[in-house]
Amino acid sequence: MNRGEHVAVIDLGYGDAGKGTVVDWLCAARPVPAVVRFNGGAQAGHNVVTSDGREHTFAQFGSGTLRGVPTFLSRFMVVDPLALVAEADHLATLGVADPWALLTVDRDALVATPYHRLANQARELARGNQRHGSCGMGVGETVARALADPAGAIRFGDLRQPAALRGKLHRLDDWLRDTFADLPAAPPAPDDCAVVFAAIAARARTGDQSTLDGLLGRGPCVFEGAQGVLLDEWRGWHPYTTWSTTTFDNVHALTDAPVVRWGVLRTVTTRHGAGPLVTEDERLTRRLVDPHNHTGPWQGAFRVGHFDAVAHRYAVEVAGGVDGIALTHLDATGPDTRICRAYVCDGVRTTRLAPGPARDLDHQATLTATCLRAAPLLDAAPEDWPGVVAEELGAPVVLTSHGPTAQDKRMLVPAGR
Amino acid sequence: MGSGRWSTDVYDAAARMRRTTGTSAFAYSDSGARKVHDRLNPFGVTRESRDNAEHPQSLAIAVLFDVTGSMRRVPRTLQEKLPGLLGLLLRKGYVADPHILFGAIGDATCDRVPLQIGQFESDNRMDEDLGRIVLEGGGGGQMTESYELALYFMARHTSIDCYEKRGRRGYLFLIGDELPYPRVDAGQVRSIIGDELREPIATTAMMAELRRRYHVYYILPTGSSYAGDTRVLDAWRDLLGQNVIELDDLDAVCETIGLTIGLNEGAIDLARGLADLAEVGSTAGATVGRALARVDRGAVAQRRLGAVSDVALAGPDRADDGGDEGIIRL
Repeated sequence: MNRGEHVAVIDLGYGDAGKGTVVDWLCAARPVPAVVRFNGGAQAGHNVVTSDGREHTFAQFGSGTLRGVPTFLSRFMVVDPLALVAEADHLATLGVADPWALLTVDRDALVATPYHRLANQARELARGNQRHGSCGMGVGETVARALADPAGAIRFGDLRQPAALRGKLHRLDDWLRDTFADLPAAPPAPDDCAVVFAAIAARARTGDQSTLDGLLGRGPCVFEGAQGVLLDEWRGWHPYTTWSTTTFDNVHALTDAPVVRWGVLRTVTTRHGAGPLVTEDERLTRRLVDPHNHTGPWQGAFRVGHFDAVAHRYAVEVAGGVDGIALTHLDATGPDTRICRAYVCDGVRTTRLAPGPARDLDHQATLTATCLRAAPLLDAAPEDWPGVVAEELGAPVVLTSHGPTAQDKRMLVPAGR
Repeated sequence: MGSGRWSTDVYDAAARMRRTTGTSAFAYSDSGARKVHDRLNPFGVTRESRDNAEHPQSLAIAVLFDVTGSMRRVPRTLQEKLPGLLGLLLRKGYVADPHILFGAIGDATCDRVPLQIGQFESDNRMDEDLGRIVLEGGGGGQMTESYELALYFMARHTSIDCYEKRGRRGYLFLIGDELPYPRVDAGQVRSIIGDELREPIATTAMMAELRRRYHVYYILPTGSSYAGDTRVLDAWRDLLGQNVIELDDLDAVCETIGLTIGLNEGAIDLARGLADLAEVGSTAGATVGRALARVDRGAVAQRRLGAVSDVALAGPDRADDGGDEGIIRL
């Protein structure tokens, strides 16, 4: 990473590897004009701890906010205006003078509403124990609804058009009631929702691609990804995926400028919610119980497994490669945190999960079936974690994390660069 | 990935929004500041309200209030309440693209901050201006404040697309309880605004010039010290005719301004406006109804007369239909 380059940070697993703490470190290392969110929505949970003990779980504000770095929510975000309010309040209690002044939202960003959320929860309830591990925030529902009814979709810019906004909220409310017989809760009155959305729109700045271009022109920005590549809507283990592009694709759609591509990995592979986790080990789950990842009512349990080099190699491959790896949780390693370099599936040793053609969900379902039948071949815990991870994934480890704060990070200068 | 740690309840968000806008308003004045904030300094500047892609039908709305001691708690209440104005206008659809400017008026003969003028803004940034206004608490004690200086600034140092591109006048609301000085003083204009005037301008002439580009209203809060003093009311009626509003509950200031604009723009009639208030749970209906009864009659008359009268009414001589008793010559 040169000082002048934009950096994009994505997770090469199932999320929770520590994108927030890496973004915070990047914002501490140099002046950053903006942190840009380019996927997902308010279901993100990026935890940052400062050296003076302040702590915040970033959902929509960028993880550089505690350092005063502005946030740009791009058109690929699904924005949840209501969740912004509570998050801004908490940031204010942590000493951020005016969180709203640090926020700009692309007017084309889709808006998640309580009606989408209730639809999402009603669907998960109907699935019973076949749940997909959804967060219950309605992000996927918002995307799906916008595809099914483009004219009825609410975009952030619409929050400034009171009459049209009211109409669209009523339309969603009608659709929700017509579609689901059993709702987990009563939806709020659309007119009330419109009033609050309008008040929020009056506080948050809106922008567009030219706003983003201006920020990118001012200096090196940080693109903060949400979730993980192994949850990608087209590349994850279908159907245990998210309605979001978690690779670098959206970053490249937002800018032609060169971007340094960082992947974040943790020394254990974790998964929050349902879906394949080949290296899962209940003893690790018990030992490494994560204070930030409780069992969610919609998402399900937080599970821990050994470092799954097979799955992470696949993630690097479908992401189109990475320029560097940030490896976190080196303080949590021990003899019990082992590494998986290969699976055994139907009696055959496998080191590579082969990516399929673009947007081929049948192929993805085949990979899911493979993962569900596979058993991990576990090797002993590595001595030199950064060296072994770099070798397994074919990319240099550029940053290691040994604790929650920016001070606990070590920048490694990769040999030969 | 997480699972939504931040409340997504509509009513929780509403309560939080109210709390945050209510408490952050006084930051600059309470810090002990006694000079005009750079962003509000009227010297050598022009304030612009411009159309853009996002706000193609901008409408300039300025609210200037007296910040001197004779108004007692009024300025502080206004600082608390006015952040609700934009939301109200948008929510109710009274105006498509409001651009709001806040400012404050003191006394140029004795105050340290006689004139503070924010920017026209289409989002919450005007609330930041509101927070930067210094509350004087002084005033001259002669029942006069430098309103005429504010009129001069608004007439000659604002540029508004609603008028310049579309011939629609903007809105200026003056909130106070005192009289303007009889003429615009050349020395004050030089030191506070930076223009060279050869001679003073009569306040009546200044107002006439201003009213070609703005609908001007004066709101007298009845809780302030000179409230009910007929000299103040009469003088303003002489200048503004029916556009003088007595308001007995300052908490309803945003609703009063919003409905005044809504009535005048023909977006609503008074009955519909009061119904709107009741619908959002406001208890200000009775107060606002009393305050706006005169304005409503004027708006109906104006709509009946049509576009021609809109220009004609801008002249000072046509605007004094309510000021026929106890006239004070300025």
